[in-house]
Amino acid sequence: MALFPRNPVTPRSTEEHERRAREWEAALQHQTLPGFVAERLQQAAIGKQPWVATMTPAELLLAKSHGVRPIATVSGTCWFHYGWSWTEGHEEGWHHALNRIRCEARAAGANAVVDVRMRTLRHSFGPSMDFTLIGTAIRIERLPPSPEPIVATVPALEFVRLLEMGIVPVGIAVGARYDWLGLNNFNGGGWGNGWQGRQTQWQTSVFAGNQPLTELGGFWEGIRRDAHAALRANARQMGNGVLAHTHFGQILKREQGDKQPPAYLGRHIVVGTVVDTPRGADVPHDIDPVIDMRDGATPLKRTGEVRHAVYDTDTSEEEGSI
Amino acid sequence: MTDAHGQSIPEHALQRLAGLRSQGHPDGIFTSDFSVNEFLLVRKAGFEPVGLCVGSCIYHLGFQFASWGSNMELDVLSTAMYEARALAMERMREEAQQMGADGIVGVRLTVKRLEWDDKILEFVAIGTGVVHAKGHPGFKGPNGQPFTSALTGQDFWTLLAAGYRPLEMVMGSCVYHVARRGPLAAISSIGQNVELTNFSLALYEAREIAMERMQTEASQAGAEGVVGADLHEGSHNWSPHVIEFFAIGTAVLPIPGHEADDIPDPKLVLSVNS
Repeated sequence: MALFPRNPVTPRSTEEHERRAREWEAALQHQTLPGFVAERLQQAAIGKQPWVATMTPAELLLAKSHGVRPIATVSGTCWFHYGWSWTEGHEEGWHHALNRIRCEARAAGANAVVDVRMRTLRHSFGPSMDFTLIGTAIRIERLPPSPEPIVATVPALEFVRLLEMGIVPVGIAVGARYDWLGLNNFNGGGWGNGWQGRQTQWQTSVFAGNQPLTELGGFWEGIRRDAHAALRANARQMGNGVLAHTHFGQILKREQGDKQPPAYLGRHIVVGTVVDTPRGADVPHDIDPVIDMRDGATPLKRTGEVRHAVYDTDTSEEEGSI
Repeated sequence: MTDAHGQSIPEHALQRLAGLRSQGHPDGIFTSDFSVNEFLLVRKAGFEPVGLCVGSCIYHLGFQFASWGSNMELDVLSTAMYEARALAMERMREEAQQMGADGIVGVRLTVKRLEWDDKILEFVAIGTGVVHAKGHPGFKGPNGQPFTSALTGQDFWTLLAAGYRPLEMVMGSCVYHVARRGPLAAISSIGQNVELTNFSLALYEAREIAMERMQTEASQAGAEGVVGADLHEGSHNWSPHVIEFFAIGTAVLPIPGHEADDIPDPKLVLSVNS
């Protein structure tokens, strides 16, 4: 074979295409991997195929000195349609994606997936969104493959540094809750009943003076607490701490006509990295204060990279589905 | 496991990676918006996070009339902006107290305007509750309540290394109406380079009031000083002549027995990988 074949894209036959589509479908249904994906990952695991890593050379250096070996880039995607709830759909969507990336990591015989990024496409295909996770599966030398590989959102360099300090980043936890205040014809377990929303209506009238909106505030805090409780419950299955949360929260107002007070929808999503670490573990390295002698931008002064940008943008407060 | 370079991964971490150790932690779980580096530095400073503390306050602002040509403080708005933040902070501190925290690190105070009503603002105070890992009692804030501080994990470590401990976040707010200039004054200054003294004066005065209020709070808390003091000028969708000056900082006290000689000289470094 020539070193650079003229035509790197060999066209696939229709049967081939259909066969792969069927395999994908079956795999998604049974929460397994198509044969060709599993084979590629296994080949990389035993060294028959080259390893693929998102690591920088600096990360590769540190990984190697700590007995960490990259295997393959693994991913998990779930395109999710929000039927009854936008908010809680997020929780479910991420959980599906997490299961799938773990599935690939298991096939690669990995102990962990590092440098996991949360992504989504900015698209508008109705009430749905894709939840994607991409990372590098790694194996610690002298450890057998894990039945449940951990999912770490930190890059390889930090992963190794954290392990050294007795902290294992084990996964991603998601907590999401929504609720309505004062929605008519609503049979759910809304907040209060009958008179809900009235107090907020009086407190925001034209003649109202300085005052905290007690009803709306209490309602909003309740949702936030529930979302955090869901996050903790989710994290408890994996480790004993959550770091680097990101939040997304919104209060939306809906007019109801008929001299009814308006209804309010509150929704809150929290996503964080779960860690497992003994309480009060020692930090073995000393910290030296330094003064950078370089002017202008330097590696020391550069700001850190954003790990996931899914909930970063301050979306406008416009009305959407729950 | 130790390799040729002497770097090692602790046994418990290896066991967790191999899936050998039990994964459940019935004895509680902490949550925090700390970055990994912040977490490590807080730990290095001798503290452990216990949980995220949040306080929020959705506030309806009253109305105040300001006459067209006068410099004046709009005390209804000043009070509103202060009270709403104080309520959010107080609720955050209550959460910290409930989880038994010694204090709160990395407090961020945000104001969000709700799209559907320009008289309603949402104030949120959010930070991570921490406890001293060895139960040292000397880090509480005023009246034995948890301390509050706007410091990041990095700043927290550095402040303790400098021999100070955070006491309380202090703040002062002043919403000020800057007088418009009358037509005569405007005409008389055409083509001339002159200072608009009433504008200068308004800004000076408003800033001064905000700073004074913050300083008064600090002295009431029994602080020696205020670090990370910052002045924000903002207009929360008000008319262009209404400006809020908001002063905020962290009141600190020296740690007894800490000498300046205990502080290591910083190293001078020149990075070669830029």
